[in-house]
Amino acid sequence: MSDFSEELVRSKTEDEQEESCMFSGTGMSFPWLQKHIETVATGGKKEKDFAQTTSACLSFIQEALLKHQWQQAAEYMHSYFQILEDSDSYKRQAAPEIIWKLGSEILFYHPKSNMETFNTFADRMKNIGVMNYLKISLQHALYLLHHGMFEDANRNLSHAETWRYGEKSASQEVLINLIQAYKGLLQYYTWSKNKMELSRLDKEDYAYNTAFQNMLNHSGKMSVNLCTLIQTPGVWDPFVKSYVEMLEFYGDRDEAREVLTNYAYDEKFPSNPNAHIYLYNFLKREKAPREKLISVLKILYQIVPSHKLMLEFHRLLRKSDKEDHRKLALEVLFGVLDFAGCTKNITAWKYLAKYLRQTLMENHLAWVQEEWNSRKNWWPGFHFSFFWAKTNWKEDKALACEKALVAGILLGKGCRYFRYISKQDDQVIKKKIKRIKKSVKKYSIANPGL
Amino acid sequence: MDFPSSLHPTLFMTGPLGLSNVPDMSFMCSWRDALTLPENSQNGVPRLATGLLWEPETPGPLPLLPPGPDPWDPGVTAQDLLFRGGFSFRRKPQAVLDVTEQLSRFLWDHGDIAFAPLGKLMLENFKLEGAGSRSKKKTVVSVKRLLQDLGGHQPWGCPWAFLSFRQRRFSILGGPVLGKSVASLLGELLHEELAMRWEQLLLDDAFTGGALAWVPGKTPQVGQLVYPAGGALDKLYFQEVNLTPDGDPQALGDPGHIQLRGPVRQVVTCTVQGESLLAVRSDYHCALWKVSKQGHPAPLQVLQVGKGATGISLSPHLPGELAVCSRSGAVCLWTPQDGLQQVYKDPETLVFWDPSPWRWADFTAHPRVLTVGDRTGVKMIDTKGPPGCGLLLFRGGAEASCQKGERVLLTQYLGKCGPEPLLPTVHLICTQFSLYLVDERLPLVPMLKWDHGLPSAPLWAQLQPPPRPGHPQPLLLGGQGGHLQLLHLAGEGASVPRLAGPPQSLPSSSDSLSAFPLLEPRSQWRLQERLKAPTIGLAATIPSSASEPVLSLFQLSAAGDVFYQRLRLQAEPRHHSRAPTASWTPQATACCSRWLKTLLEVPPTPPVWAAPTFSNRCLLTQVEPSKVEQKVPEGLRAAMAEGRLLQQRDLGSLPSAEPPPAPEPGPENELSARLEAAWEGQVAAWWEKQQGRSSGPRKPPKRHKRRTQLSNTFSSLSGRLDLSDATSPPHSPDRTSSEARPQPLVTPPSQELTQELWAQGVPSERQQTLRDYMAKLPVQGDAPGEVSSSLSQTATPSWQQTLQGGATQLPPRRNPPRGAALPSSQTSSFQATPSRQQTPVLSGSQRHRKKPRMGF
Repeated sequence: MSDFSEELVRSKTEDEQEESCMFSGTGMSFPWLQKHIETVATGGKKEKDFAQTTSACLSFIQEALLKHQWQQAAEYMHSYFQILEDSDSYKRQAAPEIIWKLGSEILFYHPKSNMETFNTFADRMKNIGVMNYLKISLQHALYLLHHGMFEDANRNLSHAETWRYGEKSASQEVLINLIQAYKGLLQYYTWSKNKMELSRLDKEDYAYNTAFQNMLNHSGKMSVNLCTLIQTPGVWDPFVKSYVEMLEFYGDRDEAREVLTNYAYDEKFPSNPNAHIYLYNFLKREKAPREKLISVLKILYQIVPSHKLMLEFHRLLRKSDKEDHRKLALEVLFGVLDFAGCTKNITAWKYLAKYLRQTLMENHLAWVQEEWNSRKNWWPGFHFSFFWAKTNWKEDKALACEKALVAGILLGKGCRYFRYISKQDDQVIKKKIKRIKKSVKKYSIANPGL
Repeated sequence: MDFPSSLHPTLFMTGPLGLSNVPDMSFMCSWRDALTLPENSQNGVPRLATGLLWEPETPGPLPLLPPGPDPWDPGVTAQDLLFRGGFSFRRKPQAVLDVTEQLSRFLWDHGDIAFAPLGKLMLENFKLEGAGSRSKKKTVVSVKRLLQDLGGHQPWGCPWAFLSFRQRRFSILGGPVLGKSVASLLGELLHEELAMRWEQLLLDDAFTGGALAWVPGKTPQVGQLVYPAGGALDKLYFQEVNLTPDGDPQALGDPGHIQLRGPVRQVVTCTVQGESLLAVRSDYHCALWKVSKQGHPAPLQVLQVGKGATGISLSPHLPGELAVCSRSGAVCLWTPQDGLQQVYKDPETLVFWDPSPWRWADFTAHPRVLTVGDRTGVKMIDTKGPPGCGLLLFRGGAEASCQKGERVLLTQYLGKCGPEPLLPTVHLICTQFSLYLVDERLPLVPMLKWDHGLPSAPLWAQLQPPPRPGHPQPLLLGGQGGHLQLLHLAGEGASVPRLAGPPQSLPSSSDSLSAFPLLEPRSQWRLQERLKAPTIGLAATIPSSASEPVLSLFQLSAAGDVFYQRLRLQAEPRHHSRAPTASWTPQATACCSRWLKTLLEVPPTPPVWAAPTFSNRCLLTQVEPSKVEQKVPEGLRAAMAEGRLLQQRDLGSLPSAEPPPAPEPGPENELSARLEAAWEGQVAAWWEKQQGRSSGPRKPPKRHKRRTQLSNTFSSLSGRLDLSDATSPPHSPDRTSSEARPQPLVTPPSQELTQELWAQGVPSERQQTLRDYMAKLPVQGDAPGEVSSSLSQTATPSWQQTLQGGATQLPPRRNPPRGAALPSSQTSSFQATPSRQQTPVLSGSQRHRKKPRMGF
C-alpha cells in the first residue's frame, strides 16, 4: 500500500513542509495567510481539482467534529480515505496521520462506535505508512488501558516493542522507551494485584510461594522496562512512583533512593515538584534524619512555596535547634500566606499567630520586621482589609480570630481588621477575643507613635 | 495548595521551535487529554462526558442593540495591498506588496502634492504666467506653453502621443530629478507603510484582550456591558442589560457614554473584595474607573504611556492594582497608593529575537509576582526581587513542542474567575496554532496542549465558573474573524487540568445571515460585510440563579455592533448521533429585521478612497466654461462627485439627442422609479414615500467627509485631524510612527508654505507620509540637530502620570438618561499633551533595527 522508498525520502526532507506554514517577513507563520493570498493571486500553480476536493472534505470533517456531529463526520471521513490515492506523494504520506487523528476522534466519541470498531481501525492504520506504527500503537494501547483492557493493551505494546524499521532514529528510540515504560506500568498493575493477594495469604501457605514467585517475575521485567525511560528527561510521575514502590517492596532502598534523587536533582529534568515530594515521602518512610528532610523540603520551598507540605516543613524547622532554621520557619509561613489560594488556610494562620508570639517572646523582633517590611505595603489590603474582616467573620469565626491576632501584632491595634473583630460581641468567643487583645497589647510590633 | 499527585507522562526536550527529529508528544488527538491512567488495577476509570455540549439556542448570534449612526467601512483588504497576478513559476502563490501601483496611482492622482515641493525648488527654471521675465536662459521653461502642449492629456502609456520640443526638453531636464526623488523618497515610505498595513491585516494585535466587558450588577441577572463604539471607537458606552432566564437579554434604557480622546483597544473588568473596577487601554493612554454598586463609573486615574500601551490587566488580589505594558518593553505595576512602579524593562524579546513590540503582563497566584509575555515566551517576574530575574513560564521552543513560526498571541491568568478560582495557578497561553495550559508551579511543561485550528488569530479568552458544582468550566476562545470555540476544562485541586469532553465551535455572526430577509444585492453585500466585521471583544456570563445553566455570550464587532447568543448546557448525555440543530424563532427574525432596517437607514459608507478631480489647467488660468453648456457639466460633475449613477435629470434636457423610442416614461412609471431608487439603495425610502408618508428631505451624502473618513480606521489618537491647526502637529497616525517621529519644535517654514498647497483634499493617511517626505527636503536645514537633541533624552522614564486625582472636577458632558453622572472629564485627562515642546520626545527617529540573534 505504501511506497517505502518514498517515505524514507520524506523523513529526510521534512523541513520542506510549507503546506500550512506561510511565513511573513517577521518569521511568524500565519495559518490564515493563504486565504488572503487566494483572494488576490490569480496566477501560480493552481491546485488540482482532487486536491481542492480533499481539502474541502477535510474542513467539513473538522467542522462536523467541532459541532459534535459525529455521524456526519463519519460520512465525510468515508470519502476522505480517497486521499490515500493522491498522486502528490507529500500529501499521500501526510494523510495517514491526519486520518488517524480525525478517525480515532470520531470513533472515540461516536455513540454507535464500540471497542471492536476502534481496534479494527487502529490495526488498519498502523500498517498504512510505516512512520506511524509506533505512535498509533502507543495511542491504541492507551485507549485500551483507559477502557480497562489490560491484556489487550499489553499485547499491543509487546508487538510494538519489537517492531523495527530502518535505522533506529532518535525519535524511534524515545517512542520505544515510552512503549516499554507503559508495558512496565501494566506489569506493575499485575504486580500490585499479586501483592494484594499475597497480603491476604498466610506465609506458611503453599500458594504464598507461587504468588511471591509470580511477583518476582513481573518485577524483574518491570525494572528493565522502566529503567531506560526514567533516565530520559521528562515528567514520569506514574512510572517513577510504581518503580520505587516495587524497589521498596524488595528492600532495594539504595536503588530507590538513587532513582528518586536522580529524578529530583538532575538538571536536565524540568523542576517537577512531585519529584521532590516523592523523595521527601520516601525519606520520611525511611525515617531519615530531620536535617535530611529539611534539606529536601528547602528545595521544594524554593519551587512551590505554596505547597501544603510547607506547613510540615514549618513544623520541622520550628523544632530545630538551629537559629537559622527557626528564622526560616517564620519565612515559610509568611511565604505560604502570600498566595491567593492559601488565604483561608486556617492552619497556616494559626501557626503564624502562635509562631509570631513565640518569636517575639524570644526577642527576635528583627526576623519579624524583615519579613514584614517586604509585605507591609500590600498585606494590609490583601489580608486585612475591612472587606475580609466582614467576610471572614461571617464565614469562619475561628479564622477571623487568628487573622485578627496576626493583624494586631503586625499592624497594631488601630488596624481595621483587628478593630472590626475585637468589636464583635460574640458570647462564645468572648474570652478568646480578650486573650487576643492582651497578646496584641503585649507583642505588637507596630510603633504606636507612627 | 494541592499539587496534582501524579502528572501526565511527558517528554522534556530543550531546543528551538520546530525541532523535527523528536516525536511530538502532543501528536495525539483531543481524546488523548481525556485519557487517564488508572492509579492501580483496582480503580475504575472516570468515564468521559461525551454528551457534554453547550447548545446554542439560535443558529447564530443576534444583534443586541440597534446599529450606531456612523457608517462603517471594512478598511483595506488584501486586494488593496498585494500584487495581483502572481508568478507563474512559483509553486505556492506568494504575497508581494504592490508598491508600484500605489505609487503610480499616487503620482497620477496627487501630482500636485508629489511634485509641488520639487516645483518650488525648481522655481527659477519655470516661467509662470504673468512673470514677465525675458530670460534668455535655456533652462527656463514656460509653464503655460508646456501645459498648452499637454492640452490636459497626458501621453502616458501611449506610444503615439505627440511630444512637442518643449515637452522633450522638459522631460530631459526634469526627468532625473523628478523621477528619482519622488520614487526613492516616497517609495521607501510607501513601502514601509504598505508593509505595516499588511502586517496589520494579517494580525491586528491592538485589540488583544478584547474591548468588551461585562460588569456584574446587583443581581446576577443584571449587569452592564462596557464597550467602545462610534466611528473612531472613542466613545465608551455603558449599557445596562437584563438577562432574563428564559428570554433574550434586554438592553435597559439608553446607554450612557464617556467621550475619550482616542480609540479604545481593551476594556478589562474585575471585582476584587466586592469592588468592581474597570480599566481601559487606548493607544497611548490607560484609565481606571471604579464602578459603584449602582453601576455608575467614577474615574480614578489616567495614565499616559509615551510609547504606546500594548496590554493592561487588573489584579484579582488587590483592588485597584494594575499591570500595564508598553511598546518599549517596560512593565509597570500601578497602585493607587504607591503610584507607578516599573517592575521590568527589556526591549529585547525573551527567548529569541522577534521584531514585534507587543508585550503583555498578567498576575499570578502570588500578588507580587507578574507574568510578562511577548511573542516568544512568558516569564514570571517577582516584583520584590532584583530587576530582570525570574523564571520562564513558557518558552516558544521544543519544551512545548512548538512549531516553526509559532508565536504567542495571548496569555491569561485563569485564576481570575470568581472569588475562589478552581485553577488558581494555571495560565492560558495561545498561539496561532495551539492552546497551552501551564501551571506556574511547573514552568515550561504544558499541562495541556490542544490545537485549536482557528482560522483567525485567537486574541480573546474567557474562563467561566462551572455552571454547576463539579461540572467542567467552560473556556471560551475567540478569534479575530469572529470564530468561537468552547472548551470544557476539568481538574481542580489535586488533579491535572484536562479537557472533559471534545471542544465545540460556536456560531459566529456571519452564521446569522439566514435570519435576515433577502435583500437586493447592494444591501445584501452591505449586510454581509457588516456581519463579517472583525470581532474586537468578547464577554460572557452564566447567571447562577437559573435552574438550567444558560451561558450568555456577547461579541463586539469592529463596526460597533454587539451580538449575543445564549447557550444551554445539555442536561443529559445524548445517545443519538446527530446534534440537534437550532432554528430561527419568529422573534429572532423580527429582531434581525428591525436591526436591518436601522442599518439600511444609515447612509452607506462612501468609498474609502476616490480619485480627486484634478486638472492641471486650473493651475494657471481659470478656464471659464461656456455659459451655454453650464447646466449639463454641473449636473454631471455633481453626480460624479457624489459617486452615484448618472441619471437623465443630471444631464438636464439634452436638446439635440433624439430620445430613444421607449414607452412613455410618464410620472406613473412606478417600476422605473423603484428601480432607480433601488440602484441608489433607497428602496425603503421610496416605499415610504409611496405609502404616502413624507420621508423628509434626503440628506445629501457629505462629500467633504470622505477623505477624513479613512483616518478613522487607523488614526491612533483621534479620528479627525485638523489640518488648519499648524501649531500642533497631528500625531502620526500609523503604527510604525508610534515611536513618535521627531517633530520640530517650531513648524518649519517649508511646512507652512506647503500647507496651503496640500491642505485641501489630501487624504489624511497620506499626510504623514508627505510630511515625512517633505521633512527630508533640504529646505528644512535645522531639523536634524533637534532630532539628536531629543534623542538624547530617551533615557527619561516613558511613564508619565497626568492629572492625578484631579480628574473629577470638570462638568459632565452628557448625563445618561438615568441621571447617572458620567463625567466626561476623561476628555481633559486623556488629552494627549498636545505640545511636544513640554514633554521631551521620547523616542528616536529611526526604528531600532536589532541584529537578528536567531532567526526562526
